[in-house]
Amino acid sequence: MRLEKCWFCSSTIYPGHGIQFVRNDAKIFRFCRSKCHKNFKMKRNPRKVKWTKAYRKLHGKELNKDATFELERRRNRPERYDRNVVQNTIKALKRIEEIRLKREEKFWENRMKVKKDKRADLEELKQNIHLVKAPVALQEDPSLALPKKMEKVKVKVEMREAGETRAMEE
Amino acid sequence: MIQIQTYLDVADNSEARKLMCIRILGTGNQKYAATGNIIIAVVKEAIPNMFLKRSEVVRAVVACTRKGVKRRNRMFLGFDDNAAVIVNQEGNPKGTRIFCPVARELREYNFARIVSLAPEVL
Repeated sequence: MRLEKCWFCSSTIYPGHGIQFVRNDAKIFRFCRSKCHKNFKMKRNPRKVKWTKAYRKLHGKELNKDATFELERRRNRPERYDRNVVQNTIKALKRIEEIRLKREEKFWENRMKVKKDKRADLEELKQNIHLVKAPVALQEDPSLALPKKMEKVKVKVEMREAGETRAMEE
Repeated sequence: MIQIQTYLDVADNSEARKLMCIRILGTGNQKYAATGNIIIAVVKEAIPNMFLKRSEVVRAVVACTRKGVKRRNRMFLGFDDNAAVIVNQEGNPKGTRIFCPVARELREYNFARIVSLAPEVL
């Protein structure tokens, strides 16, 4: 018994699940469920379909290049059975799984952290906009003020104006 | 799931190209043929100027189906098209080569010769 990976979404296919499709060139495509099978029949490219692992790894949303993936790589060379090797492998399996999960979490945290920093910057800009543009100017022309929704704002801070206002304040 | 009027590709190098199923052999009034069933088919398309001609009635074994086979380990294995291998009365293939991957179920139906000729048995 071997736990295969779905060709489309890369999830594990447990026995009794899914469909296998054989193309005329004898390549086997395994699918974990009909969702993946139907997407395949629609000729969708998994690298372009957002919820698949292929997309996520390609677009840097998930850990992709790591030594912990080497364990699961398919080897076509059969190993001679050795009891010690088997026992060591079983121990290693658990440990490597732990390490891989930790690394994936770390990767996710790092990815989210970048966005958090940006949020903090935007927050700071909003609070200290009076340093950049004079409050009087903001009152006279409300279009200069930042809109309520922070996320959609791209504020162009002109360095020349900042220099001028500072000179005026001095 | 091959039934009457189903078109099948011919998977071997006999002179026919397409067959149409006209009868499914077996016990009872079988509605569908799966991999390993023998069908009676009529040649709908053939290579010109050869021994086997269009609208000749032949026997064929269903080699692979789109619907596929369901195995004991609850695995479904479907193929790219519906294909058959032309056989004679004894069940020996008429051609000498087979061009598509076949299902292992053919061995259980005693078509060992077809299995041995196939490029891939899955």
